[in-house]
Amino acid sequence: MTKWLILFRKEWLEMIRSYKIVWLPISFIVLGASQPIATYFMPDILSSAGNMPEGAIISLPTPKPFEVLASSLQQFGVIGLLLIALSNMSALSLERSSGTAAMILVKPVSFVSFVTAKWAAILSLSMVSFLFGYSAAWYYTIALFDSVRWLEVLLSAMLFALWLGFVGTLALMFSSLIRSAAAAAFSALATAALLSIVSSTLPFKQVWNPGRLPTLAAGSLDTAQHINNSSLSVWLTAIVTAVAIAIALVIATGSMRSRPSDV
Amino acid sequence: MSVLLSVEQLTKRFDEELAVDNIGFEIGEGRCVALLGPNGAGKTTTIRMLTGLLQPTSGTIQFSGMKQGQDRREWIGYLPQTPAFYGWMTGREFLVYAGRLCGLSAKEAASRSNELLERVGIASAGKRKIGGYSGGMKQRLGLAQALIHRPRLLVLDEPVSALDPIGRREVMAMIGELKNETTVLFSTHVLHDAEELCDDILIMRRGQLSLAGSLATLREENREPVLSLEIEEDDHSRQWLAGWINKLPNGILATSETRGSVRLIAQDLETARRAVLKELTKSEVSLSKLEIGHSTLEDLFLKVVTAP
Ligand SMILES: Nc1ncnc2c1ncn2[C@@H]1O[C@H](COP(=O)(O)OP(=O)(O)OP(=O)(O)O)[C@@H](O)[C@H]1O
Ligand SMILES: [Mg+2]
Repeated sequence: MTKWLILFRKEWLEMIRSYKIVWLPISFIVLGASQPIATYFMPDILSSAGNMPEGAIISLPTPKPFEVLASSLQQFGVIGLLLIALSNMSALSLERSSGTAAMILVKPVSFVSFVTAKWAAILSLSMVSFLFGYSAAWYYTIALFDSVRWLEVLLSAMLFALWLGFVGTLALMFSSLIRSAAAAAFSALATAALLSIVSSTLPFKQVWNPGRLPTLAAGSLDTAQHINNSSLSVWLTAIVTAVAIAIALVIATGSMRSRPSDV
Repeated sequence: MSVLLSVEQLTKRFDEELAVDNIGFEIGEGRCVALLGPNGAGKTTTIRMLTGLLQPTSGTIQFSGMKQGQDRREWIGYLPQTPAFYGWMTGREFLVYAGRLCGLSAKEAASRSNELLERVGIASAGKRKIGGYSGGMKQRLGLAQALIHRPRLLVLDEPVSALDPIGRREVMAMIGELKNETTVLFSTHVLHDAEELCDDILIMRRGQLSLAGSLATLREENREPVLSLEIEEDDHSRQWLAGWINKLPNGILATSETRGSVRLIAQDLETARRAVLKELTKSEVSLSKLEIGHSTLEDLFLKVVTAP
């Protein structure tokens, strides 16, 4: 346990020294704040674009506050996912190819600790960044539109955070299996895209599919809709996702154990 | 002599290639062992299997006196051929980190780090980022981190290949001290270093162990008188040498030969010495050096690795 904390602390120190601890939260905050602000100023932006015929009146329906938050979740689902995949894509492959894994893994350190300490460090920063970003989105939604109840916001944040964590873990797992960082990021994003497309196109309900999580998160913001979602099926999806995360970590650990280093 | 490590029928096959082919040896407690062999012989592959960085295709690696289920890595300190570090850490931070991962307390790790930085000669750079270290400094830091937990077996893969001549001498002197404290296994291409430091040698060739044993015994067994002859660069002497080598008297054998020198292995030293001296005066050769001695580790190495 002490060794796990030492590994974990080293990962945090690295994120501090490389300023990841600054740019990741800032990216998420910018991402979260931009959606309500852009939506609010959309009519002005359109009218100042200047290519409207003289005298045309632009009337866009003012979106409901929960719709604004839901559309910022959509932003997180694309760019946020990309940020998470990018920050995990070389987590293990780089240690292996640079030779640092060979220095550390000849010491009496368990492979499980090595992998999970790294995982916990990156994911905790990602989660904090997402919470900052989502809070920013919530703040601007309240300021520019109307209030959204915190209970709904919290529920959607938890469901969405689980989705981000799942994709981040996939990227970490692929970084232990694939030498190329870009290919690892691509594999994680492609898996995520596939799962969420499957969940929204196939005509039957897929409780087992983590790809439902973004839809569930957005749906839980809408008081009218989340009555339709039985909370049992939400729980099941969350549990399946947690199990999938655990399996991905087992695979990553196994991969490091069987091939601790390239050099 | 009690055995510390025994290796049996160790084999590693990469896709096509048999990098290590069924080798077996023992390392005695407290011995200093040199692992020799030409490039690609399989030294690094063997070492990486010992340290657990590479899974053997087959074979066993066993430490004597290790408890059932104990982690072999607790006893090993390892310096890779090209050590790698986190460039954003300082040298001292890396040592403390390594020490704590080996189970030292924070206090122990700190004092041990200071001690080792001093010992390997980079104390003044301890507070600097490793990213700015030279190759030689990294090599020294690598040695320090291998020693941090006082390992029972110190494994060094070409510890001096990145160092300048002065650094090489310093590090060899350090290894000389260390061999009194712990068991050492190191690979090297500098046979002179091996000869000076080690008790035992292992010579590998194309994945196989060609020769193993204590340096003293192997030397005794393979001891042959050697005459090494060097001549001036004038034409007359050159021509004489070229001609004479082709009709050497019985009982003398030329091993290595360059434009102005030759090493001769003799069956009987006295006859050979007399024959050579007589020939030299008769032909009025300008001799620059004549050395009479015994075959070195280098002669033995060449004999083993060039044998058909
Ligand atoms: N990861 C690998 N994949 C495939 N072949 C490998 C791998 N590592 C080593 N080899 C092969 O195994 C053989 C032995 O290599 P090894 O690095 O052990 O040699 P070495 O004795 O350490 O040589 P050197 O003195 O150059 O360091 C070489 O022919 C090499 O090509
Ligand atoms: Mg090597």
